[in-house]
Amino acid sequence: MMRPRWRKAFSDLWINPIRSFLVVASITVGLFALGTIATIYSVVREDLRHGYSASNPANIQIQTSLYDPKLVDHFRKMPGVRQAEGVRNFPLRLQTAPGEWLTINVRSVHDWEKSEINRLRILAGAWPPKDRDIFIEKYKLPDTNAKPGDILAFDLPNGGSQVITRQLKLAGIVEEQTLGAFQPGPGFYLAPVQGYVNENALEWLGQVRPDFLNTLYITVDKNSEDENYLRLISEQVSDELEKNGVSIINIAQRGSYDHPNRIFIDAIAVLLVFLGFLVVFLSAFLITNTLQALVAQQVQQIGIMKSIGARKPQIISIYMVLILIFSILSILIAIPLAHEIAFQIVAMLADRSNIIFQGKRFVPVAVFLQISVGLLIPQVAALYPIWQGARLTIQETLSGIRQNHPTTQDPLSQSLSRLRGISRPTIIALRNTIRRKGRLLLTLITLSLGGAVFVATFNVQHSMSEYVRQISLYFLGDVNVTLTFPYRIEEINQMITGVPGISYVEAWGGARSEVILGNNNKAGENVQLLAPPVNSRLVQPIMLQGRWIEPGDQNAIVLNEKFSSRFPDLRIGDNIKLRVNGELTDWIVIGFFKLAGRSSGLIAYTSYEYLSQVTNQPDQASVFRVVAQQPDLTQDQQKDLGRLIEAQLSKKGIEINEVTAGKWLSSSVAGGFSVLTAFLLFLAILTAIVGSIGLAGTMSMNVMERTREIGILRAIGASNSVLMRMILLEGCLIGLVSWVLASLLALPISKLMSDDVSQALFGSPSTLLVTPTGFLIWLGVVIVLSTLASALPARTAASLTIREVLAYE
Amino acid sequence: MPASLTDQNLRNSEEDTASSSSTGLRQPVIEMCDIFKVFKTQAGNFSALQGITTFFYTGEFVSVVGKSGSGKSTLVNMLTGIDHPTSGYVMIHGIPIHELSESRMSIWRGQSLGIVFQFFQLLPMLTILENIMLPMDLSERYPLKERPERANALLKLVGLEDIADMLPGAISGGQQQSAAIARALANDPPILVADEPTGNLDSHAAEAIFDIFTQLAGSGKTIIMVTHDPALARRTSRTLLLSDGKLIDPHSPDYQRWLDEILEISQEIPSAAASPRPD
Repeated sequence: MMRPRWRKAFSDLWINPIRSFLVVASITVGLFALGTIATIYSVVREDLRHGYSASNPANIQIQTSLYDPKLVDHFRKMPGVRQAEGVRNFPLRLQTAPGEWLTINVRSVHDWEKSEINRLRILAGAWPPKDRDIFIEKYKLPDTNAKPGDILAFDLPNGGSQVITRQLKLAGIVEEQTLGAFQPGPGFYLAPVQGYVNENALEWLGQVRPDFLNTLYITVDKNSEDENYLRLISEQVSDELEKNGVSIINIAQRGSYDHPNRIFIDAIAVLLVFLGFLVVFLSAFLITNTLQALVAQQVQQIGIMKSIGARKPQIISIYMVLILIFSILSILIAIPLAHEIAFQIVAMLADRSNIIFQGKRFVPVAVFLQISVGLLIPQVAALYPIWQGARLTIQETLSGIRQNHPTTQDPLSQSLSRLRGISRPTIIALRNTIRRKGRLLLTLITLSLGGAVFVATFNVQHSMSEYVRQISLYFLGDVNVTLTFPYRIEEINQMITGVPGISYVEAWGGARSEVILGNNNKAGENVQLLAPPVNSRLVQPIMLQGRWIEPGDQNAIVLNEKFSSRFPDLRIGDNIKLRVNGELTDWIVIGFFKLAGRSSGLIAYTSYEYLSQVTNQPDQASVFRVVAQQPDLTQDQQKDLGRLIEAQLSKKGIEINEVTAGKWLSSSVAGGFSVLTAFLLFLAILTAIVGSIGLAGTMSMNVMERTREIGILRAIGASNSVLMRMILLEGCLIGLVSWVLASLLALPISKLMSDDVSQALFGSPSTLLVTPTGFLIWLGVVIVLSTLASALPARTAASLTIREVLAYE
Repeated sequence: MPASLTDQNLRNSEEDTASSSSTGLRQPVIEMCDIFKVFKTQAGNFSALQGITTFFYTGEFVSVVGKSGSGKSTLVNMLTGIDHPTSGYVMIHGIPIHELSESRMSIWRGQSLGIVFQFFQLLPMLTILENIMLPMDLSERYPLKERPERANALLKLVGLEDIADMLPGAISGGQQQSAAIARALANDPPILVADEPTGNLDSHAAEAIFDIFTQLAGSGKTIIMVTHDPALARRTSRTLLLSDGKLIDPHSPDYQRWLDEILEISQEIPSAAASPRPD
């Protein structure tokens, strides 16, 4: 037979099921949030690394002129090289709709079955592709509007004004972890559609020397995460290529675990760690508050036990066991719940971030954290209220009057009492709100913290959205036309403005270039050099440091944030060497701008006027940005306009490389951020759940604790409606005060979160923007929950008979 | 008018000494000597007890009566160690109880004294049997296996053997009070202190509870009972009359008149008029 004292501990669970539910809920919600956060943090990063490294990604990718496949064997034997593989990459234009073309990058290898670097996962179709087959990477497949089995039409290069098309069957779908890993421009989200064909298809697709290769993939034998080592091997390999008469177009390095979307996951991880700490903090307050209320309700029983001989340690142990039972129940609920929800979120994140989800599994760190926090925090949180309860004298516990109770009202209560024109029950409600200051403080801290985090997630989300909007300021044109060769600006301008609905055309220069490292004029990473005219109307940069291009600037250059992370010592005023179209050029850094964060490649802006001198192509350009007369075109309207421009240029014999809608570019950049914003929404919901349960629990416990007081008020004539009004007023007042505090607290928390995310993405602090959305939603949540959470226990308390209430709670 | 404080104390003391020396064998179980209790209130100091000196003996069934606010409950709280005197001392079995630490007081109380409250104060989540076993569990006085047997024997003593497994909420007030008495006897304490044990019961139930007390006193327990019931008070072996914190000398000419007066007033007060802090 169980000892009565332990029996009491267990029986306390179900003697007041609502109270037990609230206590368990307050512990569970914190553990659930913590478990979810820990699971996502651990699993996403693990799967990101595991999935990427399992694809055996190239550590070095060198784009070259065409070379003989036999050369690859030579590199396999080079010191430091583990594997070497040659591939052929080339762009094609895929017809996505009548008159609409999409640039697609196509890859072919000698034998797909034996390909070891950048391994693909086959999701659909019979691999490898047959001679007239193409496989497409799953993440970019939606851009093609195609499905497996469809026959796709491709525009062959050098077709000129006469479009020569070839057809391939979409034979299947693959998943490539390295998608966007070596993109010179922005990363995964800006990578073009990727296709895979058999080498026998190359000739048919109009490729010259189809037996030759133009890209070399290398994996290194060791230190695959060491940038310096990778660069060293890159230099050795590129030297050998050049010695064999192969020209280097571009070199890029990447670690074996450095997934292209790692920075987004890092930003999410930063948010998770931040929120994880806050949740533990919040839970501790919530649990302390709830348990304090629980102990307050147990005071009379403590007195009874003391009167029959219970000692302080015995009383403390009874309640510690009770808390332990609550903890165990909470852990049992929270662990599977957090596991389930976390893996749902991980699957969502994986799906949107090109991560191979390794499946649901036991996450020891999450379970360990939940168990340790679940067992420890409630015990610590309860120790003080229990100790305080246990040290009360029998007289205090049975009479309900403390020895050191105040003999007079505090000044605030006195002021409230003097208020005129307010009913007595209202004054009582106002005074009740501030009566237990310690409890009120705990309640307010819990609610304010929960509310502040909730509001902050909206602000951070807003800042991110705003940033995406700002990115579009780099791509202000409605239509972006890229021609195969530079043409005379005057001529193209006339042709484009001849299309109805065009308001303005701006010709941009551009060139592929490479950073020159060291004194031996060795080409390093590729730099996308963009050259809008000075005083361009179609670019509004976000400057991090320095200034933008101004009239009169000669060899001035503005660099994106990637330069800062790649070359940390680079400062404004420094000289930088670039090889532009094979020519060595000197530039002075005048500023750094913010684009798509660290996921982008190296991007630099200079003036069209200067670059056209450097490239000896004055008054010529290959990129034209077009603005429509009608403002705020949709992406579809922009596409329609693009089709009209393409038709006009084709008619005049102009060779077009690509025509894209202005919004396509910014929406692609926004793709990376959408994962973050979606995740922030999840965090907001998670915080709202924690905060709401905290709010509901605290309010309910506050009312439950006053069951006896409610009885007395009823005994002296307070009607149910008067009682309800008093309790609701008190609940709403606490809710509103917490909302005001949460709103204030939200600002520094938003800034902290926003800075953390911005640091992870862009390597710089954020510009915090505040949106009313979070504030208003939380206000609604606070009012509704305060009302409900106070009304339900108040109704129960009011329905008890006076005798029931006063004789025993 | 009650006798002066000093005279009264002296007389009470003399009476008790005389009583003790006349028997030659009787030693007091409880000695209350010159107890003062002063409460500090906003209106100033309030003396709830003013120099109480009295003795209680083995097998005595003493009732304590007085008007509301006369200090009855304060007196009982001094006896049980629930409250501390401002001055004076209480010796129980030669132990100055107010010198005990909180922890030792709990141990002492669990073994030496049973308390019965007006509102029963059974733990609602435990069965009647478990409520009775709880003091044994806390004091560890009896071996684990012996406790249910002993609890059942106590239930039999108070006539509740058939409802041992019921929860307090499911039984009548009289039965709850009987159970509370059984719980007070759990560790076989020599003293039982009851603060208005029948105040919340009908006359039938009150009678049953009184019978239990009489029986216990007969078996050698010392019973001290605060009551408003004149009929019950008159049937106890001795009545202590309190007025304004002082004991009224039973030999004083006014004693009987005061007693009658108080008991008549008490009779007029409806017993259901519950107060959260009964006195």
